[in-house]
Amino acid sequence: MSETKLSIVDLTKRYAAGLDPAVDRLNMQVEEGHLVALLGPSGCGKTTTLRMVAGLMDPTAGSIVVDGKEITHTPVNKRGMGMVFQSYALFPHMNVEQNVAFGLQMRQTPKAEQKKRVAAALDMVQLGHLGKRQTRELSGGQQQRIALARALVVEPTLLLLDEPLSNLDAKLRETMRTEIRSIQQRTRATTLFVTHDQDEALDMADRIAVMNGGLIEQFGSPTDVYERPQTHFVANFIGQANFLDVTIISETGPAPVAGEASYKVDVEGLGGFGAVGAKGLTGAHELVIRPHRLKVTLTGEGHDALKGTIERVSYTGDALSVAIAVGERSFNAQLLTTSGDLPRRGDTAYLSWAPEDAYLLPAAAPGKAS
Amino acid sequence: MTLLKTRGRSPLQAAGSGELEKATEKRNRRTYLALLIPGLLGLLVSFVFPLAYMVRMSFNKGAPDGVIEETFTFDTYLQPLTDPYYWKVTLDTFQMGVTVGLLCVLVSYPVALFLARSQSKYRGLLLAIAIAPLLTSAVVRTYGWMVILGTNGLINSSLTGMGLIDTPLKLTNNITGVTIGLVEIFMPYAILAMISGFGRLSPQLEEAAGSLGASKAKIFARVTLPLSLPGILTAFLLVFVLSISTFITPRLLGGGSVQVLATEIYDQTTGLLNWPFAAALSVILLVLFGLIIAVYQRLTRKIGG
Ligand SMILES: Nc1ncnc2c1ncn2[C@@H]1O[C@H](COP(=O)(O)OP(=O)(O)OP(=O)(O)O)[C@@H](O)[C@H]1O
Ligand SMILES: [Mg+2]
Repeated sequence: MSETKLSIVDLTKRYAAGLDPAVDRLNMQVEEGHLVALLGPSGCGKTTTLRMVAGLMDPTAGSIVVDGKEITHTPVNKRGMGMVFQSYALFPHMNVEQNVAFGLQMRQTPKAEQKKRVAAALDMVQLGHLGKRQTRELSGGQQQRIALARALVVEPTLLLLDEPLSNLDAKLRETMRTEIRSIQQRTRATTLFVTHDQDEALDMADRIAVMNGGLIEQFGSPTDVYERPQTHFVANFIGQANFLDVTIISETGPAPVAGEASYKVDVEGLGGFGAVGAKGLTGAHELVIRPHRLKVTLTGEGHDALKGTIERVSYTGDALSVAIAVGERSFNAQLLTTSGDLPRRGDTAYLSWAPEDAYLLPAAAPGKAS
Repeated sequence: MTLLKTRGRSPLQAAGSGELEKATEKRNRRTYLALLIPGLLGLLVSFVFPLAYMVRMSFNKGAPDGVIEETFTFDTYLQPLTDPYYWKVTLDTFQMGVTVGLLCVLVSYPVALFLARSQSKYRGLLLAIAIAPLLTSAVVRTYGWMVILGTNGLINSSLTGMGLIDTPLKLTNNITGVTIGLVEIFMPYAILAMISGFGRLSPQLEEAAGSLGASKAKIFARVTLPLSLPGILTAFLLVFVLSISTFITPRLLGGGSVQVLATEIYDQTTGLLNWPFAAALSVILLVLFGLIIAVYQRLTRKIGG
């Protein structure tokens, strides 16, 4: 086990009395060297959380602990963190080198060492040749890298990034994604990364904190939050999902994943289907199935398949998205295209899934208990 | 300026045939010139003619009784350029401009900085209050200052009343009073000029500096001040120019004992009726301070990046 670098305890921010808190008793533990993505829809409190950790904003309540030391009320300039802003916030009256050297100057690092570390930081972001440039003469991606170098050169206790890629075009965003991740892994800088882009979070992060309404809905590895969403919101926000209201018939034994159980569930009288979930569930629950995990056949093979009609087909070359109506319900499925006949609108189709691909959300479905 | 700037070549234009492009450009230029005509005519009548008339006038010969003799002589220039009195007046004018400019920038800067950075919903109101003095004329405000600064004025009577001083301070009829009055009168201009020059200032830059370890004082010295320098320099120049060309306040608050070029010109024009001499002084003022402004702007452009 690695050590806990940052722990956030019951952190709360209320911008004004009477308003709902923007961050509401948030708890989180970040391990040393991890990159944690704060992921969530607009207005869920990501920036607010990050700014409180950075010390740019005072929390209403709660505490922030770094390396075992409480820093909740330490002023921003004493925290030794590195922050990269969405708009980069490079100093327009300094050239690239001066920008990167700023943090070292504030720490009164000897001149010779400053020079060496600035050069090393610029090399790290592959912009060693642009040291004398004015910041306005840089492209967006280059500015981004300089901002990263400026934050990293001081060897920050924590690296904080607020949507650092949102001002870049799609292509560059992907490049920078890999680059930031590799620099982060090389420097082993514990990093908080704010984003509202799930692909970014899944691709880069060691852990994802999925936020909603000022709270963390789930904190876990990318596969955790994708494969084992703990709430409807998480399942819906990360990737696409089909939801089914089911009633558990019986627990049938252990599941392939340790600590989980297999279940037989009833889908609104359509028959018994297999599913997996946490141990000891009973009653009404919601079942989550990812579209590409649904098996679709045009002939009714297998006995526990749902019969439906294809409502909509959208073809994107590699994949085929189909919407299939089963009774009043509509399922989204994703199929790989083959050179043969493709399903068409109006065709009858049979839906089934492997039990381990259908996950029961742990919370009892509201208002459907039987 | 902006019109010309936005007229960069579009890729389409560049790709098109050179001939066509040239023709279009010619037509465009003609359109722009046509659009300029009303403005140019206005300037011609209100600015160029009077100025030309003044320059011509400065080469005439003036007599004490207001008679103007139409000739072409440099005599009018000889006197101010050789008489030490006028050198002193010129120097005093320059000194007053610099002092007022510096003091005005000093007192306006905190106000402007506050207004520029304020996130308050009352920001608009505060800004309006800051520039509200412009609603009354400088004459009225100068009289106001005479009441406040006078021998029996607000300041002196309070200070003597509290027993802090025995004899009233001499705050009017000297350069002190003129400076105080001018600084206050030009504050709104300085504030506006500064705010318009604070474009590169942003709270995020200050936050970035803070996160890199800069204390409040360091943030101010390394980020806020350098980035507000263009605004400060513009405000200084504006106040400098306004103070060396104003004559109402030096006249009223100076009570005749403060002689600057503007009051001198006024005296020559309306008192002694020596128009050629007044014209020559005006031309000297114009050339001298025009030069100073040109040099200053070259310097600020260097600093402003
Ligand atoms: N200065 C402020 N005063 C009052 N309310 C604020 C302020 N800043 C943010 N809020 C509110 O707090 C909530 C959280 O804001 P925050 O900026 O943290 O969201 P976010 O998750 O970063 O969103 P986005 O993805 O849009 O950047 C929002 O509801 C927002 O309206
Ligand atoms: Mg945000």
